[in-house]
Amino acid sequence: MEFNAFFLNFLTGLQLGAIYALIALGLTLIFGTLGVVNFAHGALYMIAAYAAVLISRSMGFTYAIFIVPALLFLVGLLMERGLIRWFYDRPHTDQILVTFGLAIVIEEALKWIFGANNIPFALPSWGSGQVLFYGLGATVPEAIPGLRIPMPGIEGFTFFPFWRLLLIGVSAIVVLGLFVLLQFTRFGLVVRAGMRDPQMVSHLGINVTQKFAIVFGLAAAIAGVAGVFGGPVTQVSPTVGLAYLVPSFLVVVIGGMGSLLGALVAAVLLGMASAFTTGFAALAVDPFMKGFLTALQQIVVYLVAVVVLLVRPRGLFGKKGVFE
Amino acid sequence: MTKDIRRPTRRGLLTAGAVGAAALSAPSFFIKGAWAQEKAIGNFPRATEGSSIKFGFVLPQTGAYADEGADELRAYQLAVKHLNEGFDFDSIISDSGLSGSGVLGKKVEYVVGDDQTNPDAARQVSQRMIERDGVIMFSGGSSSATAVANQYLAQEKGVIFMNGLTHSNDTTGKDRRRYGFRHFFNAYMSGIALGPIIAESYGKDRRAYHLTADYTWGHTQYESMKASTEDQGWTTVNNIMTPLGAPDFSQYLTQVLNSDADVVILNHYGKDMVNSLTQAVQFGMRDLQKNGKDFQIVVPLYSELMAEGAGDNIEGVYGTTNWNEKLPDAGTKAFVDAFVADYDRPPSQAAQTAYVQTLLYASAAERAGTFYPPEVIKALEDFEFTGIGSEGPMLYRGADHQCFHDVLVVQGKPPSERADQHDLLEIVKVVPRADIEYDPALPAFGGEQADLGPYEPA
Repeated sequence: MEFNAFFLNFLTGLQLGAIYALIALGLTLIFGTLGVVNFAHGALYMIAAYAAVLISRSMGFTYAIFIVPALLFLVGLLMERGLIRWFYDRPHTDQILVTFGLAIVIEEALKWIFGANNIPFALPSWGSGQVLFYGLGATVPEAIPGLRIPMPGIEGFTFFPFWRLLLIGVSAIVVLGLFVLLQFTRFGLVVRAGMRDPQMVSHLGINVTQKFAIVFGLAAAIAGVAGVFGGPVTQVSPTVGLAYLVPSFLVVVIGGMGSLLGALVAAVLLGMASAFTTGFAALAVDPFMKGFLTALQQIVVYLVAVVVLLVRPRGLFGKKGVFE
Repeated sequence: MTKDIRRPTRRGLLTAGAVGAAALSAPSFFIKGAWAQEKAIGNFPRATEGSSIKFGFVLPQTGAYADEGADELRAYQLAVKHLNEGFDFDSIISDSGLSGSGVLGKKVEYVVGDDQTNPDAARQVSQRMIERDGVIMFSGGSSSATAVANQYLAQEKGVIFMNGLTHSNDTTGKDRRRYGFRHFFNAYMSGIALGPIIAESYGKDRRAYHLTADYTWGHTQYESMKASTEDQGWTTVNNIMTPLGAPDFSQYLTQVLNSDADVVILNHYGKDMVNSLTQAVQFGMRDLQKNGKDFQIVVPLYSELMAEGAGDNIEGVYGTTNWNEKLPDAGTKAFVDAFVADYDRPPSQAAQTAYVQTLLYASAAERAGTFYPPEVIKALEDFEFTGIGSEGPMLYRGADHQCFHDVLVVQGKPPSERADQHDLLEIVKVVPRADIEYDPALPAFGGEQADLGPYEPA
């Protein structure tokens, strides 16, 4: 594989991973703190994407960036107070059933309101266009619009959509922000303590349930960010929630249930696996090899999950004894 | 756990064998009039003895093609209403024999089922319609995978299936069945119609990269487009199969960018088409220059309902359709007016084929004078008619049950030229029937081995 191809596949892998990470972060945060497997998380992403389309159509995209996460925070709070909290003491299967049921209700409701088809989500004018990467000594024709970035090793020049690079950046910022929040703030300290031993924390006079409701809202708000920035990439249709829930759930399982670092690593791992198997499938000349890689490309995320779970049942960064 | 697995026992095997043998020999000595000319086949004559008959409409009401299914259902309801209450049938099908008081004097009723765009679900729903509801004909579907499943079921049960939207060559190719009929055009015709036009617009020296939906329709669509563009002098750089329903095509589009191709052909339909097209535009493919030429995107089969979802991205993109509501013929006008009057929106090509198929079956029964399936089939085979959507006569070819009529090459309209939200496509060329006819024994259609099967199912 030439460097140009490698570089583009690498960016694609990061971009695929960025969306998985944004959805998986919320999933794993909820599981890590509340012990709930939230199968409705994909549906939260979908609500965010629809809200983002409606708001950016009527008020402008910039408003969507601020309003949608806030809106999703509220939706998350409502969902936790109204439904999820009744299931904290129930077995995981009950939690999965109720959240999965909720996901189906949301999917059908969106279909009922907006139809089964995609609704177009146009990029804001500042977000469209390409970023051009050019090698040392190469010249990029003046006629081609786009941001120019020198990249040693590239032959001639190549490009990648600006919006998808932005998505990678947004995902990185969210991950960093969440890390800072949990690691360096008082709120984070309480949440982490609550994850270890909720009983002890409440005996110390801290309102753990209130904190946990906020965590649920926070996870939903991250899905909100994902919907705003990911919507134009994944498209906005009533099936997209479930389409992303499955790989995101795999990300959480591969990374280790409840581990933020694990989710991040696993998201990038799955993104890279998809991008590079497709890359090699495209390059394959031998028909058998091409057929094999094409088939592999469609199942590679599941294959990675199988291998990781066989070798390390708790996931890459999972805690001993959790879902092992 | 192995002890819980049920193994076939010798006794069980013998019983099953005996029951099977009895069942196989049953028709010849239990059924009254078995040797008469009109044997009991499928739901005939049982389901035709009352004052009404039932059609079964099996369509996607959930899943990726739900909106296409909804439009087909509108068309089926309109067709049933017209059959029972009367319409200007001859504008749709010349000498249809239809009276407007049901079919053969029997009022038409219908049942509806959801195939979820899934062949297993389709088979289950259709089987229930045949066995429990006693339908005399069933129709529908919006995917070639369900179409093929339904055709095999039709042949097995001896109940005629009139295909809805299915574009794979296989439906009237290697999987053609005596009890299955297709009015919709196919991937091969799209290739023949589209090849010369894109070669004329984009030049003969082009290098094409294909992205293809990984199931029966996508495969035949790719083969057909490859053959027809290579006939025009194009080179096929590569093809990648993509899983049906992928939300993000970025890893596939990256490979297109990485190649020396200057055209991408998206063998995708429905939601896949909207996603891959939108994302190809995001990847700058519309503004790209390769090999000193403007990069081009081609979508061989347009889905009008879904094109709305692609927004402005369809501008200038070539594709084909079976029919369009703006055609000038009297049949199209009559159908569109009736549809708009009832539903306040123009019909899609899915609706058109669904409507025409229902009327074609009814007309065949009228002309045959019976619901006896072999006679109805014979009335459809090599039936030539004029009417909706074609300037010259149309033909339901007997050899493979493919209907031949004009097909359209279309191009996405720029937003500034659209009259309303449904006005998305410009008709570039009406390709006459004669140009898209082919030998039914072509290798792409199963070759000499392809066989319709018997008139009287075993």
